[in-house]
Amino acid sequence: MELKEKLQILAESAKYDASCSSSGSHGRGSSNLGNTSYAGICHSFSSDGRCISLLKILLTNACIFDCKYCINRKSNNIKRAIFTPEEICEITINFYRRNYIEGLFLSSGIIKSPDDTMNLLIETLQLLRGKYHFGGYIHVKAIPGASEHLLKKIGLLADRVSANIELSTENGLKLLAPNKSGDKVQKIMQYVKDNHNKDYVPAGQSTQMIIGATKESDLDIMNKSFSMYQNYRLKRVFYSAYIPINKDTLLPSLEIPPLKRENRLYQADWLLRYYGFKVSDILDEKNPNLNILVDPKASWALKHLQEFPKEVNTCSYQDLLHIPGIGVTSAKRIITSRRHFKLTFKDLKKMGVVLKRARYFITCNGKFDFNPEYFNKNFIEANLVLNDNVKQLTYGKQLQLF
Amino acid sequence: MANVYLYNGNFLNLLELINYLLSNNTRPFNIKPINYNADMFENIINLKLENKQDIIKLYLQLYDKYILKIIYYVFISNENNKELIIYYYLLNYPKYKNNLNYMRNLKCVSETLRISQKVSRENHKMKGFVRFVELKNKVLYAKIKPDNDILYLLSIHFKNRLKNEYWMIEDVERKIISIYDKQNFYIIKTSDLIINAHNKSVDEDEFASLWQLFYQTIGIKERKNLSCRQNFMPKKYWPYLLEVRDEL
Repeated sequence: MELKEKLQILAESAKYDASCSSSGSHGRGSSNLGNTSYAGICHSFSSDGRCISLLKILLTNACIFDCKYCINRKSNNIKRAIFTPEEICEITINFYRRNYIEGLFLSSGIIKSPDDTMNLLIETLQLLRGKYHFGGYIHVKAIPGASEHLLKKIGLLADRVSANIELSTENGLKLLAPNKSGDKVQKIMQYVKDNHNKDYVPAGQSTQMIIGATKESDLDIMNKSFSMYQNYRLKRVFYSAYIPINKDTLLPSLEIPPLKRENRLYQADWLLRYYGFKVSDILDEKNPNLNILVDPKASWALKHLQEFPKEVNTCSYQDLLHIPGIGVTSAKRIITSRRHFKLTFKDLKKMGVVLKRARYFITCNGKFDFNPEYFNKNFIEANLVLNDNVKQLTYGKQLQLF
Repeated sequence: MANVYLYNGNFLNLLELINYLLSNNTRPFNIKPINYNADMFENIINLKLENKQDIIKLYLQLYDKYILKIIYYVFISNENNKELIIYYYLLNYPKYKNNLNYMRNLKCVSETLRISQKVSRENHKMKGFVRFVELKNKVLYAKIKPDNDILYLLSIHFKNRLKNEYWMIEDVERKIISIYDKQNFYIIKTSDLIINAHNKSVDEDEFASLWQLFYQTIGIKERKNLSCRQNFMPKKYWPYLLEVRDEL
């Protein structure tokens, strides 16, 4: 098989993994070729708008597992291919020298056994780091069920090691991924967390969950994310709208992937990590799913409208973060600036604070940016939804889903 | 009087001039590089400033290092009145000292920070968007066309990243080229150099087409979102991006 055909098959099989970040690594000292950028660098953007930072490929798409949602499952009749470690190095090095990529994202189907597969991955990484003295970013997938000594080895070669949990409940996993158990994945996470230091997986670990393949609610998903952030100190949880690649009676027959839901989950995820929200603030048993029309922070604010409007010149940093449309950067700018002068709406604009959403929830020196008589839930909600609608016209098809 | 002060287009010379204006309490109507075409109401003043002192050393005594970095970023931007913006920014420094950057209600401050952020962002984007072609003699060669004059900043990045390669990056708009010899990089005029860019290495076409194939393959068609792509990767950069230039 030609290199070209292999690349096509093994990139095709790898493309459903959401992660492509190349950030968070301080690098590994001197090397002949390449370094890492702490902020990460995007090298291109694909036709779906996702960043291309890493050469995202599988070592092989042959697999002994039969996970229902996966394109590479054993029972699928697709073309299979396998790269040799040398071939992967050749492509990686040549792409890197031409500045096409920031590094390599290597995953694999499971051939023979988890340990055999891990050994092949390790061999590839050793070649890259040893023979080619490659200092660029490497993200590698750990194979569930592999032995600890292999996990130890691979973590010393890669910047990021990750294992995908895929589904937020053990029932979901049993149903769709009978060979994979949550335990095996969490064992990897635990090991990586316990051994994490500047030489071992310096960029930390991440994971991914599929959205919409099973009946799990957003509350299940967010609870799972929150517990993983706490227990395993994950850098990121990626959410991936389920795309119906395989036909199976156990799988829903969606025509369009639930992209808006995925978007809302990411927003909620950010609220957990950077805005001091708890899962119970956003979701509860009565409302287990996120509002599709309004983003989670605005939706929280509309429910707690009695706490608004906030006076930007006096309210606390935590309160600023609770205002829809105001992020960490804006909140910090407001805090530092208001020590020196009293902020007006005009000043906020000059500071780069986006008022499109925030204007309904704040006052500057006691003044509203709109007629205060309209300060009520219906008016604000209608305006927020209308504001977004212009954008959502392009998502029109998806909205019909809900 | 609409006094327009000229400098020779060089960053150090601009610092020299601004320092002169500030210490003499002179308010310029504008500050422009030497090739400036004045209109009839403007009075051109071309001071011959003696390069008596180490101007960077002087600035580092007067201002925080961070401030100096910001004004350098503004200087390499493509903004129209960048020199005057730098002047007013520094004029306000003695009053606010290192709190200056919090005073975003002052136009000179908000503009300075906006421009420097714009330059820094383009620099960051270009770190990803440079595409090298390997020539027959193994030299890597790239063409770029950024809005701002970021060739120097980019060269620092690639000096660290591709330190054991010979590379050249050409800014086609400004007609300057950065050349790296595995030790240092030098920025010279393109006209001083003849490059045969068609003289590609034997593997070049193969890897270029592998990259194009990878690019085509990695997009998920069920999630197609071209406007999102264009937001992140504006069309002005496409002519030099091998994976999308055919779509133009």
